[in-house]
Amino acid sequence: MECRVLSIQSHVVRGYVGNKSASFPLQVLGFEVDSINSVQFSNHTGYSHWKGQVLTADELHVLYEGIKLNNVHHYDYVLTGYTRDTSFLEMVVDIVQELKRANPSLVYVCDPVLGDHGSMYVPQNLYPVYKNKVVPVADIITPNQFEAELLTGKNISTEKDAVEVMDLLHAMGPDTVVITSSDLPPRLGDRFLVCLGSQRHVRPDGSRTTERVRMEVPKVDAVFVGTGDLFAAMLLAWTHHYPNDLKTACEKTFSVMHHVIQRTISYAHELAGPGRRPSPPQLELRMVQSKADIEDPAIVTKATVIS
Amino acid sequence: MECRVLSIQSHVVRGYVGNKSATFPLQVLGFEVDSINSVQFSNHTGYPHWKGQVLTAEELNVLYEGIKLNKVNRYDYILTGYSRDKSFLEVVVDIIQELKKDNPSLVYVCDPVMGDHGAMYVPENLLPVYKNIVVPLADILTPNQFEAELLTGRKMNKEEDALEVMDLLHKMGPQTVVLTSTDLPSKQGDQFLVAFGSQKIVKPDGTNTSQKICIDIPKVDAVFVGTGDLFAAMLLAWTHHHPKDLKTACEKTVSVMHHVIKRTITYATEMAGPGKRPSPAQLELRMVQSKADIEDPAIVVEAKVLQKSLH
Repeated sequence: MECRVLSIQSHVVRGYVGNKSASFPLQVLGFEVDSINSVQFSNHTGYSHWKGQVLTADELHVLYEGIKLNNVHHYDYVLTGYTRDTSFLEMVVDIVQELKRANPSLVYVCDPVLGDHGSMYVPQNLYPVYKNKVVPVADIITPNQFEAELLTGKNISTEKDAVEVMDLLHAMGPDTVVITSSDLPPRLGDRFLVCLGSQRHVRPDGSRTTERVRMEVPKVDAVFVGTGDLFAAMLLAWTHHYPNDLKTACEKTFSVMHHVIQRTISYAHELAGPGRRPSPPQLELRMVQSKADIEDPAIVTKATVIS
Repeated sequence: MECRVLSIQSHVVRGYVGNKSATFPLQVLGFEVDSINSVQFSNHTGYPHWKGQVLTAEELNVLYEGIKLNKVNRYDYILTGYSRDKSFLEVVVDIIQELKKDNPSLVYVCDPVMGDHGAMYVPENLLPVYKNIVVPLADILTPNQFEAELLTGRKMNKEEDALEVMDLLHKMGPQTVVLTSTDLPSKQGDQFLVAFGSQKIVKPDGTNTSQKICIDIPKVDAVFVGTGDLFAAMLLAWTHHHPKDLKTACEKTVSVMHHVIKRTITYATEMAGPGKRPSPAQLELRMVQSKADIEDPAIVVEAKVLQKSLH
């Protein structure tokens, strides 16, 4: 498999977020990963302290220029996630557009990180950039419910709303949309959360069809960081292997997440000791230890096809 | 296995040198790798063009401070390689000294990158820093012949010289020294280069001994970049698993190198086409494709034990 990904995300010295979260799993699955580190921090910002440096839009451009001057700016995928800077994001869009001109079948996997649980946690001025510039060039997006509502201006209270929101997102650009978590009522009980996916296909006869799936995944009583980054990377990998089968791609992706998270929470509790809540360092994803699950995830969650 | 490595090396967007070369193989072998990127370049400097940014000594310090403030500055290994900046190297030394105070059994694996084939390719003012400050702190050292001669002030013309140079290096600090390549004649002919290794061991009765080995390695007709970084990382891994058996650690390390290089040269030659020399871009190590060899290298070389001597 010769497949090259350009991933533009954060780097942390310690732990697994951004490029640290995405690179190893993709490499283990045989992808070549070129990585531009948008920041270098000691650790993620959920720790008590964090320190480091950020890459400016200009410095990003300089790095891309180096790749281009050597005529090696040919990618099959671009992957982006958490960003705080509009000019940086706009430079990313320019790069994606140029890379798409060089390779029209390039797939841009975009996690439109804006916020969660009803509030934004990036500067507000990123919202119009995502809505008007980024999402239109994306092929696969992985918003949570809040981000999907923000981007479409439509609230999700029922599954029907979710389907409409995903259709609105398709109309904005991406053929594949996965709502990675929602507040919709799970059928399996309140220890689960509902995720949905939608993929538009063009049949050989030219007509359009949409595959829609729904999954219920177990909730875990802990705050993990980097899981969204791992999710987007693994969705890239499994949609690559199952380009016309969103059901299977999602089952594999959510299953990997499950194995990594289970391993992480067990270890974290062991480290923290009985009756104590694990700390952010203790909750770092057990990525390296999960190699076998990443390579060949046992399916633990089934997706149902919905109309 | 709970083993945490702090690796302070370059990052390239594309390709495999520095941290890009060291991290994936170590992670695949189950090591937790914390990585401080000393630079971020588009690619290594052997390409026609390269662009990017360097980390200053001050910025390195700031990153370490973040780790320290969170009380997670505890490592089992440190790994360093190519450096061009004296003040950066000096901050690296300060960090290592502090980490060793916190964990006295920390192992510092140091590739003292200064040059090759008779010429320095880093600024000259790094030599005294390596000689006087860095090497004394190192536990495992992976110099090539030129670097070993530079550090000890002693030339190598025959096997005895190599053994003496390794003993001189032991006296400077590191208990484990591997001369990764030399010009000494190989008994297997001129298609081979000779590498040496020496490890000081303290016997249960308190006396010192050392295991010295040599390995004949097939030469490859190409210039690879990042192989030294991969070597140091894999030597870290295999000495971790075989701490008192340098012979096995070196056989595994050299074997991994062989598999990765073979796969790389085959692919590069294919990409270049018949009769054409592969380009730097085509010669990037086939790292990801070599995962199985990294995890469990088939042994393709045999190290010869030279002597066990008492000191």
